[in-house]
Amino acid sequence: MIRKVLIANRGEIAIRVMRSCRELGLVTVGVYSEADRKSMHVRYADEAYCIGPAPSRESYLNIDNIIDAAKKSGADAIHPGYGFLSENAAFSDRCKQEGIIFIGPSAHSIATMGDKITARLTMTKAGIPVVPGTTEKITDENMALEIAGMIGYPLMIKASAGGGGKGMRLVRDHNEMLPFFRTAKSEAMNAFGDDSVYIEKYIESPHHIEFQILADRQGHVIHLFERECSIQRRHQKVIEETPSPLMTPELRDEMGKFAIAAAKAVNYEGAGTIEFIVSDALEYYFLEMNTRLQVEHPITERVVGVDLVKEQINIANGLPLTLKQEELRQDGHSIQCRIYAEDPDQNFMPQPGLVTHITVPLGLGVRYDGYVYEGYEIPMHYDPLISKLITWGKTRPEAIARMRRALYEYKITGVKTNIKFLERIMDVPDFIDGKYNTHFIEKNNDRLFTPKSCGTECEDMAMIACFIDYLDKIEKVQPQKSSEGFSSTWKDFGRKKSVLRL
Amino acid sequence: MAYEIKLEHRTARIELLNRAGNKVLLAVDDLKYDLDVVMVEKGVYSILYNGQSYNVELIEGESRKEYIVNTMTRSFVAEIIDAETKYLHNRLQGTEHKGENDISSPMPGKIVKIPVSVGETVTAGQTLIVVEAMKMQSEFKASADRIVKEILVNEGDTVNAHQIMMKVE
Repeated sequence: MIRKVLIANRGEIAIRVMRSCRELGLVTVGVYSEADRKSMHVRYADEAYCIGPAPSRESYLNIDNIIDAAKKSGADAIHPGYGFLSENAAFSDRCKQEGIIFIGPSAHSIATMGDKITARLTMTKAGIPVVPGTTEKITDENMALEIAGMIGYPLMIKASAGGGGKGMRLVRDHNEMLPFFRTAKSEAMNAFGDDSVYIEKYIESPHHIEFQILADRQGHVIHLFERECSIQRRHQKVIEETPSPLMTPELRDEMGKFAIAAAKAVNYEGAGTIEFIVSDALEYYFLEMNTRLQVEHPITERVVGVDLVKEQINIANGLPLTLKQEELRQDGHSIQCRIYAEDPDQNFMPQPGLVTHITVPLGLGVRYDGYVYEGYEIPMHYDPLISKLITWGKTRPEAIARMRRALYEYKITGVKTNIKFLERIMDVPDFIDGKYNTHFIEKNNDRLFTPKSCGTECEDMAMIACFIDYLDKIEKVQPQKSSEGFSSTWKDFGRKKSVLRL
Repeated sequence: MAYEIKLEHRTARIELLNRAGNKVLLAVDDLKYDLDVVMVEKGVYSILYNGQSYNVELIEGESRKEYIVNTMTRSFVAEIIDAETKYLHNRLQGTEHKGENDISSPMPGKIVKIPVSVGETVTAGQTLIVVEAMKMQSEFKASADRIVKEILVNEGDTVNAHQIMMKVE
């Protein structure tokens, strides 16, 4: 049985995992790069070890150093969190070789799902709908044209090793096909060192909906319903919610069954997520599987009432799942907002820096997963995610109202954040009505990038605060000058006195 | 005591008329305000006016006269304009576009790539330098046709916010 867990991560997720470990009575081991000595996860852990210099490649992605720390601390298991080494098949394998339990799936599952073409093939074999397109790598330009004709425009060219929108091209018609095919290939080569691309039908106004699954070693697989993740910027999720406003009970049941089948097709073990792309007409297709804990897992935890990290640890211990599919249900509605250190008005440019003041929202129905504190300097080496704000309500409108309230209370000064941008999203009619897809931010551009007015009186208050602050600042400087004058008089007096004494 | 304060595009003159502890009487242009102002936390002011409660947060900018001001609904850039500031502003207008030829990064980061070299002629829109912070790369481009005069950093270097990386003319 696992007694001591090393968390091979940083930031909010490291703390989130340690919290569940603490509840289970497990000893926690943190690891940190030289840039993270003051980071909260180092302070929260029972033990902490430095694993190298600031760049991720030399620390959080350095397998040897992490294994060393695990041996030094006597940790019997490693939780990878998300990002970094969480979907690295070699790391999962290495842990196994070293006799350390990797809290996650096998190298085989990670590798199969990690390569998009292999994943598509595996899913097709298992009878799971995938987006119509090729199941092989395309290298020949004539073949690319022929296949494009068969699938029909618009279509997408995607990199096999892809992610983050790199090596991805939307092709609207025949004339664009060859130039875009070439640029996608060279971009994929630059980004991933592999120029394999494939072609997929383009789904207009797509929704991004994913299913959480849990699978134990005994072969039981359950799903914990869906998460709606269509609000994205630069192909990264910003707001997630569950249940999805698009979902019907029949569709949920059907997609859930396919999610379970997908996990079974790769002998999956642990917590994972099956991502689907869903059209307005409710046609759905397998997109990819994330073989790790997701950033947005808390909304599922809140609505289903399950601690996913504890489930991961139990599964890693070889215990069978105690949750039964037929007993699970969704209670109320939950929304998560991702708080990033970035400037929405400057194309979401990241904003590392010193946090001078922070007020965290609390109160009924609010969960806060973060790691930043007053006086902490957000380093420039890692992800700009500061925290996740999760609200719950009996109904969707209540969850939205609560999120609006929580965002209003949430104040971070010193670095720019997207808090006000998120507040504006809460007021967009499309969001309130639950009628949105992945084009949401683009479509509501005008509304989202126009700051709320604060009115003349509010502006006056802003100026008055500056005025008072500046006056007090000047006054503080002036008395010092005059006190210097005094002290020299005292000095003179002292000198005279000592002279007199002589 | 009075100062002009510039809040984004609006400038107003604020005059202190009376102050006793938290109680402040002042005028913003012609409008008089009877307020209760107190600094509740470092840089955070609570202002009560006619029963309304305002919270204003201040972050000092590059100089002590510059602020980033956060009200509950939005964020502003503000500047105290005194005799010295006015003098400097007037002087700066005399010199030609000072600083426009210096390329600096608004945020700290790491230099990923410098695709140009000293003496090179660059065209408007050409990438001069690529800086990475928090897993995102930002390209800094030439605003007009220029010649690279001086490169002050190397690939792999770490830069601070507002540090000058390159000079062009």
